[in-house]
Amino acid sequence: METRSKILIIDDEDVVLDSCLLVFEGEDYEVATARDGGAGLALVPEFNPDLILVDLMMPGISGFDVLAQLRATDPTLVAIVITGYSTVGSAVEAMKQGAFDFLPKPFTPDELRMITRRGLEKRRLVLETIALRREREMLRENFSAIISHELRSPLSAVQQNLLGLAAELSGQLTEAQKERFERLKGRIGDLLGMIGTWLKAVSVPVAKIRESFTPVALPPAIAKAVETMQPHATRKAITIAEAVGEPLPPVLGDAGTLTEALVNLIGNAVKYTPAGGQVEVRARSEGGHVILEVADNGVGIAPEDLPHVFGDFYRAKSSAGSEAGAGLGLALTKRIVEAHAGTVAVASEVGKGTTFTIRLPAHGAATQSPAGTPSAASSTRDPGDQS
Amino acid sequence: MSERKQLLMIDDDPDFVEGIKSILSPHYDVDVFYNPKDGLAALKQKRYDLLLLDIMMGRGAEGLMIARKMGQDAELRNVPVLIITSIREQIAFLFGSQALHPHFVAHDELLEKPVEPKLLLERVEALIKAGAKGRDGK
Repeated sequence: METRSKILIIDDEDVVLDSCLLVFEGEDYEVATARDGGAGLALVPEFNPDLILVDLMMPGISGFDVLAQLRATDPTLVAIVITGYSTVGSAVEAMKQGAFDFLPKPFTPDELRMITRRGLEKRRLVLETIALRREREMLRENFSAIISHELRSPLSAVQQNLLGLAAELSGQLTEAQKERFERLKGRIGDLLGMIGTWLKAVSVPVAKIRESFTPVALPPAIAKAVETMQPHATRKAITIAEAVGEPLPPVLGDAGTLTEALVNLIGNAVKYTPAGGQVEVRARSEGGHVILEVADNGVGIAPEDLPHVFGDFYRAKSSAGSEAGAGLGLALTKRIVEAHAGTVAVASEVGKGTTFTIRLPAHGAATQSPAGTPSAASSTRDPGDQS
Repeated sequence: MSERKQLLMIDDDPDFVEGIKSILSPHYDVDVFYNPKDGLAALKQKRYDLLLLDIMMGRGAEGLMIARKMGQDAELRNVPVLIITSIREQIAFLFGSQALHPHFVAHDELLEKPVEPKLLLERVEALIKAGAKGRDGK
């Protein structure tokens, strides 16, 4: 059973309080009233209301002050201001200060019911958003535990059997068979290593990863990433073109994780490009930075989705069909790139394609120019900041 | 030829156990239990030369519980413990970096999954030879 919604009404006019109580009598609400701002605010901590109806014009503490104090103590509270017709202007002012809506006096019972329902719905959504955000934080915190147990354990079991079988059969295997065993062990070893690195990317402080940084030549990392995704591309008849502008300065970092970041971007491009399409991996040097681009001529990303693509568990809503993946690839890519003091940005046009751009400081470059990326969304941007 | 040494393995992943057994079985007798409770009971029943112990079993790090209990038991204290785990970092994360120090959880060696056959055989042989000597520095 759900708990009853709690409503606090603050108004100095008995007639308003009484008529509100009358209207709410038939509803399943718990209602408290206060005759002035001070008494109302004093009630908030113990009554713990979901919705507050507050008169703007009261003797003593005004409705504005009540709003300001409510906002300071609990910004999730939903407040509706009650106001006379002559003061509609101040009601608008109150909304600018965080009130959810306003109710002009005199109001009909239906108007009160409607606005209350909408206010409570808003409250529910606010609480739900907070709960979801908290859940996401918990997911992130437990991420390392989930990854290590759910992904590493089965892989370890497979690898252990490969190792055991190879040892068991060593006398009977041909050289070619031995070589296949070695390749299998290598592939699974790479996967285990990758998971280990992911783990570090999410759970280990960036400063710690940096301790193991060495100068990395990018062309081999690019080649390896392309090679890894080649079978997936071939299956969809997608060509992957490489355009590496030499000489490319090295970057300070970890070759494995950087390759992983590229694999994620290329994999993403292949995933969202129709059969027969093209993916291009470009690299060039530009003013103390190395620019890596993964461009496709695929389905593109809707403008409203663009700011969210680097979020955890993001998967394009508009994506055709059921594409595999947990929606972590781009988030990991972002974390990897940021651990390398770089940025990753995306530009896309629906129906035309998408380009992801990684900017990494070149190793040995004198200074790094903080020139902004002109793309539509960048990892350095505040996620909530879109106009 | 000397009598074959008796090994006990406690790990809840049957596939992983197979992989380890295929390496050890030509040289040792390996008993296996797939949960900590039966494993601990078996330890009390029979004298083993070495315990191969997984950490993350059941609802959490139940393997740690076995290692702790063994450390408190005058008899079981002498059985060498080889921890084989895939989650060294996770244990440190959950229980603090001291969690796997031999002083807190009695064990003689910790290997990470998967284990190279050569390394596994070397360590198993060495641990059996050394017995429980040296644990806790006593």
